[in-house]
Amino acid sequence: MSDGSGAGNGRLIQVDDITRVFHVGGEEVRALRGVTFGISRGEWVAIIGQSGSGKSTMMNVLGCLDTPTSGRYMLNGKDVSRMSDDELAVIRNVEIGFIFQTFQLLPKETALANVELPLVYRGMAAKERRERAKAALDKVQLTHRMHHRPNELSGGQRQRVAIARALVSEPSMLLADEPTGNLDSATGEEIVRLFEQLHKAGHTLVLVTHEPKLAARCPRAIRLSDGSIVADGSGREVAMAVAGPMVAGV
Amino acid sequence: MKSVTSLRVDVLEGARIALFSLRANRLRTVLTTLGIGIGVATLLAIVGIIQGLNTSFHKQLASFGANTLYVSKFPWMIKGDWWKYRNRKNFTLEQLPRLRAMAPFITALSPSVSRLSDVSYGGEQMSSVRIQGVNHEYLSIAGFDITGGRFITEADEEVTRPVAVIGADVAERMFPGISPVGRTIRVDNRSFQVVGTLSRKGKVVNESMDLLVLIPFKTFYSNFGKGRPFEIAMAVADASQVRMAEDQLIGILRRLRATEPGQPDDFNINKPEAMAQTYAQLTGALYGVAVGVGLITLLVGGIGIMNIMLVSVRERTREIGVRRALGARKRTIVVQFLMEAASVSAVGGLLGTTVGLGTAKVVSLITPLAADVQTTTVLGGVFFAALVGLLFGIWPAARAANLDPVEALRYE
Repeated sequence: MSDGSGAGNGRLIQVDDITRVFHVGGEEVRALRGVTFGISRGEWVAIIGQSGSGKSTMMNVLGCLDTPTSGRYMLNGKDVSRMSDDELAVIRNVEIGFIFQTFQLLPKETALANVELPLVYRGMAAKERRERAKAALDKVQLTHRMHHRPNELSGGQRQRVAIARALVSEPSMLLADEPTGNLDSATGEEIVRLFEQLHKAGHTLVLVTHEPKLAARCPRAIRLSDGSIVADGSGREVAMAVAGPMVAGV
Repeated sequence: MKSVTSLRVDVLEGARIALFSLRANRLRTVLTTLGIGIGVATLLAIVGIIQGLNTSFHKQLASFGANTLYVSKFPWMIKGDWWKYRNRKNFTLEQLPRLRAMAPFITALSPSVSRLSDVSYGGEQMSSVRIQGVNHEYLSIAGFDITGGRFITEADEEVTRPVAVIGADVAERMFPGISPVGRTIRVDNRSFQVVGTLSRKGKVVNESMDLLVLIPFKTFYSNFGKGRPFEIAMAVADASQVRMAEDQLIGILRRLRATEPGQPDDFNINKPEAMAQTYAQLTGALYGVAVGVGLITLLVGGIGIMNIMLVSVRERTREIGVRRALGARKRTIVVQFLMEAASVSAVGGLLGTTVGLGTAKVVSLITPLAADVQTTTVLGGVFFAALVGLLFGIWPAARAANLDPVEALRYE
C-alpha cells in the first residue's frame, strides 16, 4: 500500500481528511468520509469504485469543481480547499486538464477552436493559441481533422480532441472521468494506449473509473467504498481484489 | 503561467461567442431583434414627429420677431377668470404718445385691434378674415415685408382713409394672376382700396398668419366701433433688450395707468416667447404620454430579450459547465451573455432607428406634420436599446454565471 498520510511533501496532490457532505431533501449524505492520500508528479493513478462510492465527488474535488466540507486539499503546493470561485477557475485553467466520459466538446466549434478554449481563458493572443492548439492536436494525431466539428468526428476522435484540449494548457495533471465509458472496446484501447504514452512522457494522470479492467492498466489504484478508501496499491492488485483475475483482465 | 483574463479579453471573447450564437439561431435572433426594433422605432417616430412640431412652431414663432412685445389688458392665453381681465381699464390712444416719451427704448409702436370679417372682391368671397387696425409703424414690428404697393402711411391714419394692405392668402385667393394694388375690396360691405400686399409668413399652430387685411387704426375705429379694447404692439432695438424693456415697461405702464401701489398689474406684457412656454406646457403632457407608450413597447421588447436569454442559458447549460471547467470565471460568463443580449438589442436599435426615422419622414411627407429627428435622439435610441438589452440580460447572465459547474456538466 502507498503512503496515504500527509507527511510526504513535494507531492503534486495531497488530500488530508477530506469530507464532503450534501444535504438532499433534509437528509445528510456523506459522500466522502475523511479521505487522505497523496499523488506524486508523473504518477498514473486510477480512482475506482462502484456507483455511490464517492468517486465522482472525489473527482469533482480533485478537479476543483467542488470544494470539500472539511479537510485540506493541496494542489501543486497551493491550498485549494478554501479558495474563492474565481481563484478556483484560475486553478482549473492552469493546473488541470479535464477529460470527460461524454467528451464535453462545444458542438458548434471546430476541433481546433475546442482545443484553443482553455488558452482563451488564459488571455493568450490568437496566433500563439492557434499554434499551441495545432501542436496539441498533433500529439493525438488529429491535425488532419482540426477544422471538423465534433459531429463530423468518430467517438475515438472526439475523445482525442478532448485529450488535446486537456494537454494544450500544459496542466499539472490530467483528470479523466470514465474516459473510455462511451467508446467501443477497440477505440477504448486506443485511448488507453494514448494514456500510456502520456504517462511515459511524464504527465500526471488521475483516472476515475468503475472498470477494474481499466484500473488494472494503471500503476496505482485507489479504491473507494462508501466515501472511504478501502484499498490503495498497484492497479493489478486492487482490480483483482474487486473483480477477480478474469474480469479484471489481468 | 498565470491565468488572468482581462475584461478586454472577456468582452472580445463574449462578442465573438455572441455573434456566433446569434448567427447560429438566425430566426430567433430576427424575432427578438424585431421586438426591440419595434420599440425603438415607435419611440423614435413619436419623438421625431413631436420634435418636428416643436421646431416648426418655434420657427414660426420667430417670425413674430424676437424683439417685439405686445401690451394688452388681456393675456394671450387666458387662465382662470376671463371677467377679471375684461373688467380692467382699456388703454387709450392718448396714452400712446406719453408711453413713447416715457419709454425711449421703444423703436416702433402701434395700437392694434382686430375682428373677423367677410371679405369679397367680384364674385370671390372669403370669410373669417382677420381685419386689423394698425398704424404706419406696424410693418416693422410685425416682421412683414411689402411685396407690392405700399404700407399704411401717417396720412392714411389722419384722414381715416379706407385703404387696405392685404395678406398673401387674401391676395392669392382674390386676385389670382393679377395685381391687387388699386382694386377695391369689400369688408363687411364697406369698400377699401388695396394699396399694398404683404409677404407670406406661414402658419402658427395651423393658423394662417396671412389671412388678414391691415387697415389704418382710426379707419378701423370709425368703421367697426370705437369701444374695442386695443393691444399695443411695440419693438425694441434688438432681442437682447426685451427683458430689460419688459422690466422697465411694468413701472412705466403702472404709472401711465395710475395703478395703486400694492395692487397687482392690471395689464399683461405678451411675448411670443411666453406663447412658446404655454405651448410647451400643452404639448409636454402629450409628449410624456407618447414617450411612455414608446417606453412600454421597449419594455415589452426587453422582456422578450430576457425570455430568449433565459432559453439560451438553459440550452447552453452544458456549454457553460464546460467553459467553467476550462477556466472561465463567473464574470466571463456574465459578459458573454450580456454581450449577446446587448448585441441583439443594438441590432434591434439600429433597425428601429432606421424604421423610426423612415416613418417620421414618411409622416412628414404625407401629412402636414413636420418631422425633425436630431442626432442626439438617434444616438439616444441606439444607446437606449443597448441599455435595455443589458438591463434585461442581467438576470439571465447572472443565472448562467451562478450555475454550479458540476450540475451544469451533468445537465442533459
